[in-house]
Amino acid sequence: MSKSRPPWKWNWIFAAVAVVLAAVSVGGDPYRGHVVTLNTKELGMIVDAKVDHVTAEELADRLIQGRTDQRILDLREPTSYAEYHIPSAENVVLGDLVDYPLYRNEQIILYSDGGIHSAQAWFLLRAQGFPGVYMLLGGLDAWKDEVLFPSLPAGADPELIAEFDRLVQVSQFFGGSPRQGSGEDFTATPVQMPTVEPPSQVPVARKKKKHKEGC
Amino acid sequence: MMAPFFKYDLFGDEFSLIVAVLIGFGFGFFLERAGFGSARKLTAQFYLIDLAVFKVMFTAIVTAMLGVFYLSWMGFLDLSLVYLSTTYLVPQLLGGALLGFGFVVGGYCPGTSVVGMATGRVDALVYGAGLMAGIFVFGEAYPFIEGFMYSTDMGTITLPQLFGVPYGLVMLVIVLIALLGFWAAPSIERYFRNKLTEEV
Repeated sequence: MSKSRPPWKWNWIFAAVAVVLAAVSVGGDPYRGHVVTLNTKELGMIVDAKVDHVTAEELADRLIQGRTDQRILDLREPTSYAEYHIPSAENVVLGDLVDYPLYRNEQIILYSDGGIHSAQAWFLLRAQGFPGVYMLLGGLDAWKDEVLFPSLPAGADPELIAEFDRLVQVSQFFGGSPRQGSGEDFTATPVQMPTVEPPSQVPVARKKKKHKEGC
Repeated sequence: MMAPFFKYDLFGDEFSLIVAVLIGFGFGFFLERAGFGSARKLTAQFYLIDLAVFKVMFTAIVTAMLGVFYLSWMGFLDLSLVYLSTTYLVPQLLGGALLGFGFVVGGYCPGTSVVGMATGRVDALVYGAGLMAGIFVFGEAYPFIEGFMYSTDMGTITLPQLFGVPYGLVMLVIVLIALLGFWAAPSIERYFRNKLTEEV
């Protein structure tokens, strides 16, 4: 039985190697923290291919279908978030983003008022190796114009009117109100944002997603 | 090239399945060669008369731990991309105790029972049937135990984080514990074997 065992000499050598390796690393940390290596060409190609964003209408469709396989992050200040946010969105300011609990196999949709903060956040998350990050094209401004308060210009053709009817339903789902008339009036009249969270199948405060990974 | 390869998209789902099969065969082969396809060998661990399981497992832990640390220290592995399972303390303590109980009674743990099945051991086949039945019962009972399963959530915590000490220090302590165990194992085995023969 002892024939198949390595001679004791080798056991001592392996033990010594393990102790030396462990002793050398005392105080070391294998996590690299917030320092990352970037493939700039790859990022450039993703932006070029226009696969880095979703439109407001696409996002609205997802929410109406009740899909929950995405995380929506609202990058605005907490006060703006408290006033209004897209259903199921979570509020994270840019400074907290890198430590925010997100998983790399999730689809993450980012939005801010316009597009600047979400573009910056997109870059931060891509740099950290999150593959499924998307910006809401045009930000919350586009969400208001296209989903909450879609407008029908005066003298629209029947095709546009039919399309508008669909938009009205979408708008009402999210608690918005469609507008009709000439385009110039809209900017002058302040719009009333929906005050209450519109009814939605999407749970607003989601618990941490259960993983399918691991053993 | 940076690991984990799958998460860096160096290969896709299909190739990862091939890799999984190859690693699975390798794992099974070495478990079998270490004698872990035999329930006698495995249960001897609990009577402290044959500490082979302890020696093999701790050797694997020390090797993998040092390997992972040095690979990430040298920049070949991004450890933050390696999945850590969440710690749910109480349910996992209970689960561990259940698994240990099943291990002593059945003579296998889930992985080694598959090794035993592969070499045609009847007791392993029976164990496998029990395993499947257990999975079924768990699935059916899931709605009732889900709340408990996710209680005492500690997040994805590691020993260095828990104790607030450097990662390397924890490694050194684990290596020393392992070596102490390896050093003491032959005497422990001899003592309990003698005790057993005296009783019989």
